[in-house]
Amino acid sequence: MNNTWLLYMAFAAVLVFVGLYCLLSMRNLIKLFIGIEVISKGVSLALVATGFAKKNILVAQALAVTFIVIEVSVVATALAIIINTYRHTKSLDIRKLAKLKG
Amino acid sequence: MVFLFIALPLVVAGILPLVGKISKKVLPDLLTNSVFIILLALVFFEGRGLIGQDVAVQQLSWLGEPINIRLMLDGFSLFMLFAVSLVGFAISLFSIDYMDHYGSKANFYALFLVMLAGMNGLLLVTDLFQIYIFLEVAAVASYALVAFGLGQDELEASFKYLMLSAVASAFLLAGIVIIFGVTGGLDFETVSQGLRALDARYLVGLCAAFFILGFGLKAALVPFHAWLPDAHPSAPAPISAALSGLLIKVSGVYALTRVFLNVFGLTPALSTVLMYLGVISMVVAALLALGQTDIKRMLAYSSISQVGYIVLGIGLGTPLGILGGLFHLFNHALAKSLLFLNSGSLQMATGTRNLDEMGGLGKRMPVTAGTTLIGSLAIAGVPPLNGFWSKLIIIVALIQAKHWAFALIAVLASVLTLWYYLLIQRKAFFGKPNEKWSAVREAPFWMTVSTVLLALLCIATGIFFAGTINSWIRPAADALVKGVQTMLGSLGF
Amino acid sequence: MIVEIALLCGLVLLSVAAVLFRDLLKAAICLAVASLLLGIIFFRMKAPYIGAFEISVVAGLITVLFITTIALTKTGGDVRESKAASWIFPLVFVVFLVLDFFVMRGLIGKIPSLEATPEHGTFGDVLWKLRTFDLVGQIGVIFAGVLAVLALFRKRDKDE
Repeated sequence: MNNTWLLYMAFAAVLVFVGLYCLLSMRNLIKLFIGIEVISKGVSLALVATGFAKKNILVAQALAVTFIVIEVSVVATALAIIINTYRHTKSLDIRKLAKLKG
Repeated sequence: MVFLFIALPLVVAGILPLVGKISKKVLPDLLTNSVFIILLALVFFEGRGLIGQDVAVQQLSWLGEPINIRLMLDGFSLFMLFAVSLVGFAISLFSIDYMDHYGSKANFYALFLVMLAGMNGLLLVTDLFQIYIFLEVAAVASYALVAFGLGQDELEASFKYLMLSAVASAFLLAGIVIIFGVTGGLDFETVSQGLRALDARYLVGLCAAFFILGFGLKAALVPFHAWLPDAHPSAPAPISAALSGLLIKVSGVYALTRVFLNVFGLTPALSTVLMYLGVISMVVAALLALGQTDIKRMLAYSSISQVGYIVLGIGLGTPLGILGGLFHLFNHALAKSLLFLNSGSLQMATGTRNLDEMGGLGKRMPVTAGTTLIGSLAIAGVPPLNGFWSKLIIIVALIQAKHWAFALIAVLASVLTLWYYLLIQRKAFFGKPNEKWSAVREAPFWMTVSTVLLALLCIATGIFFAGTINSWIRPAADALVKGVQTMLGSLGF
Repeated sequence: MIVEIALLCGLVLLSVAAVLFRDLLKAAICLAVASLLLGIIFFRMKAPYIGAFEISVVAGLITVLFITTIALTKTGGDVRESKAASWIFPLVFVVFLVLDFFVMRGLIGKIPSLEATPEHGTFGDVLWKLRTFDLVGQIGVIFAGVLAVLALFRKRDKDE
């Protein structure tokens, strides 16, 4: 496959890495969710770039539209959970949520 | 007709919030349970006929014009649909009484039905990306269901579950994108043919790693299990049962098996990885279960351990191993749901989940004690209950394939399992009744009906195991063993 | 090509900023501008529909949801992020960039691939006729999201 695809995938990988770093090192609940958003950007970039490289751009767009719809639902649910957590603990710190130990 | 499995729960879920405004309890209860009864009937009457031949691929049509919705029903999907509908029915019966004090029952049922629609959809699709979509549908519904009680523990557990699950889904999608890039298609036939024609070993290995990460997290295999011991105890009891008994199996084990056995093909390397993951989950989770005082947490670790058994059996790859793995999946779904529902009865009666505080409840709650005993013995693998046969088949398959060490570990883990389950029985039900529990009564009507139903099924499946295997499990195992070939046959409707 | 690379670098830098900024509002705005750049990248890839969708939904709707949440959860004292995380980041980032570059360079020309089936029709045809089942999935996930929000924000009229 051509070099353009590799270029886009390289940048998508960087975005996923940045998102994962955010998840591993940040403490604010909303910041953690921004990490997930960055990962989603990386994945949708990879999706559309693959469609572009395979000359299948319309199918890739249809898939990406569905992916964004799923992302919106997940964001809505997660933010609802965060707001409810804030109402309980009055704080957005993940360390305050350490009651359960996995 | 098969489309009803997805359409019916979605439509009812759509109208339930409106119905809930009119009638808070009766109509939602009635509607949800009828959905399950209809789906069970559908499985029995239509499903068996449809797969008389190997596989049925159904093309829908709307007002005469064919719509491009293709559903695939083979032995494996039908078996899973049966398990989902059966256990789901028992759970929704239980919820009639249990969810009364949570409020907003119609909303709960609606979310539960959406999760059901997502799981059924996952079982019927023919396309990798559609597996991802329905996986997410069930997952989003489950995030809300875990947090349903709105207490701090529930919200914390749900948040951690959401974060880990979202990362897993992202990796899954990354794997799907790479496969799309390499083979140019997304549906199972195109992908499997493409992968066999090419020799892209490293990329396929990378995708396999992504899939194991993604599906392994959904199935809660060690080391991806961290979310489960928090999420399952905090959720309301029917949801713990649905998650442990159904969701981790459908979106974890089923999807993993379908992708690896029917699309990638089970290479020896993959088989080894799966078997090791299975064995590690089996042992580590069983050891961790021993130290727990919270009954639901102990059951959660047990789920991880039993999923290890299932993955071990399926990862072995021999027809007998797959048969054993699938049978254990069915048995565990029945028995674990039973146990979680009973833990709900205990929690409702005593207000606590701590085993050390309970004691001597056997006299006051005889039905709960009896059914818990049956469920425990079923999972631990005591004859003549169902768990014994499925574990035996897995161990025999391991011995036949000359994996002596694995077989030995499986037997030892079984002993461990028996030990901690007997601990539950002793601490909760036997012994001197605690002062506090003198006013405790047996669980309400529908809750006992549901648990007795599951217990009877455990016993029946154990006694009639040959019949169960031949009519449900063998077609499923055959479908998997044949691998890709089954995808290519089709009847149009 | 230069424009593409510049846009991609902008996207990555804005995402890094969104992760590292202390102030949540600034982070959300960085995320929104990053989505804008991603939308433009999509346009240039001859994918106008997804570009428009990305900008309107991710840069628009999701940013609004984020800012609403930030407004509803104004804490008295901010959550103190660990300083170490911000210092270690440049190191790890550069290491990853180098690794990434070499891996991708090594893969040039080595990836076998099959031709995809050529597509015909318009985007509407593909979305509504080819991928019809995805729409059922979308309906399901929208139901799940709406019901989740309804369930999580319900009034507790009797306490349990």
